[in-house]
Amino acid sequence: MEALVAQKVTKRYKGRHRETLALDAVDLSIAKGRLFAFLGRNGAGKTTFIKIASTLLAPTSGRVELFGRDVVADPAAVRPLIAVVPQEGKPFYHMTPREHIVEYLRVRGASGETAKSRADGMLEAMGLNEYKDEVSYRLSGGLQQRTMVAMILATQAPFLFLDEPTLGMDPFARRQVWKVIRRAAQAGSTVLLTTHYLDEAEQLSEELAVIESGRVLYRGTAEALKSTLGREVRLRFSRGFTAPELQPYGRVFEERGAVTLLTMRKDVRELTELALERGSEITVGPVTLEEAFLELVGRGIEEDA
Amino acid sequence: MIAGGQVKAAFRICYFNGIIPLWRSPLLIWAVFLTPLSFLFFLFVITGPTDPQFLPHAVVGGVLFTVIFTGNGMLNDCAYLRLERQLQQIFVASPVRPFAYLMGMALSELAFTIPALVLFLAILLLVTPVSLLGFVGLLGVVLLTWLMATSLGFLISTLFKQLREIWPIGTLTFSSLAVLPPIFYPAYLIPARFQWVAFLAPSTYASQLADAVTGVNVGSPLSPGVLNSPWLDLAGLAGATILFALAAAYLARWREP
Repeated sequence: MEALVAQKVTKRYKGRHRETLALDAVDLSIAKGRLFAFLGRNGAGKTTFIKIASTLLAPTSGRVELFGRDVVADPAAVRPLIAVVPQEGKPFYHMTPREHIVEYLRVRGASGETAKSRADGMLEAMGLNEYKDEVSYRLSGGLQQRTMVAMILATQAPFLFLDEPTLGMDPFARRQVWKVIRRAAQAGSTVLLTTHYLDEAEQLSEELAVIESGRVLYRGTAEALKSTLGREVRLRFSRGFTAPELQPYGRVFEERGAVTLLTMRKDVRELTELALERGSEITVGPVTLEEAFLELVGRGIEEDA
Repeated sequence: MIAGGQVKAAFRICYFNGIIPLWRSPLLIWAVFLTPLSFLFFLFVITGPTDPQFLPHAVVGGVLFTVIFTGNGMLNDCAYLRLERQLQQIFVASPVRPFAYLMGMALSELAFTIPALVLFLAILLLVTPVSLLGFVGLLGVVLLTWLMATSLGFLISTLFKQLREIWPIGTLTFSSLAVLPPIFYPAYLIPARFQWVAFLAPSTYASQLADAVTGVNVGSPLSPGVLNSPWLDLAGLAGATILFALAAAYLARWREP
């Protein structure tokens, strides 16, 4: 069963001097219980889509259904089923993490007992126990963001919208949050998240979509997206090579004084030996989602090569 | 969520947006109290000895000023939570209805002002005798004025996209309602041919009605061209309250357009 179905969703923002097309006839469906990531550059349309699907913003045209309910025509039927972590949302400055979770759950109709027990479980899972009674203005940005995410995940809403949920978190905290997000999906919630951390999308999502200039360019798994590159291995040479001489082997780009080559496995031995002869340090690894993303979006690599 | 759930939601919002910050930052009470008290002080120093009726009227004015400025607090708080902290969004994407959110925020603004209101009411009892009925009547005026001001504040807060646009609008709107109209000073001091202008502001009705129910006599009558009746004042205030509450319920942008 589909949890979300979007058909021809278009959004135009009217400014004083020009009109911006933020979403251009987006079609998308997300199966119930899926962990789905939305990738795209800044301004690509990810947040606009999330805002429309979570009833925060009206589309210019098109239709979005959540669990069969129309988010535009019948938002009141949709809202009890959803919860959203807004992009760059910040907690109430005067409340503690525990109060945030308990009070938000109670506002949504949970009993005091349920709210407290869920809050305690969530604080533990998110590594917030140590800070549970600190007012939020005394917390770091990363802890404030964790508080926001904890508050929303504790709702156990059937559909969770997480707009850049790990923004500003350290790598440990991110991994802790990933675990809780995965647990939410395993418990039956459908999760739609946006992120600029491509490792996060790769680690978390079962399926992803890449959006650019308001259009969905790709939809599928991270592995399948990487395979579209037609390259298997990533070689990074610290010195001794120029981009033009490596071009016959695959895609080449230069960054921070080093040359990176995306190539096939069969070429690795030859290039490694050449690197040893030239005294170049070489790093070998699989191609990343980031490279596939950059290739797909059609910027970056060509510009740098 | 059924109606009972929405009422509970409103009180929970009042608890965590009004009571908790008040408890943790009691200085907020003085911030609310100080401006009307300053007005009162200057009026008393300047006019107290010459017109003894000014002071009770100005104290009632202090009560109304404090209540009207809950609208400004509402405007700023709602705009801040929506634009700066993105917190209104978590209530939009939830079972909480806009009216429950509005009431919760409005109650929390009232919570901030209750200590100041108690102080002003105590001052009022010191400067003039007020019957129990008059006191209840004044509370009724306070409630209507609070609902009117906070509805207006919420409505305006949803119409703008920048906090910087909202700050001057709040000051302009609520100063026009609480400072310019005859709240602290009696209406008869306005030149006769301009007295009708004061009645364009619903706060003038609130002030006239509050004076009437508490028995505060501000001396000279209004010019003959101005209808002056407590029932008319009640109709004016109640009408404005209903109008702003309906506007907030139906015109406020709960979902961005």
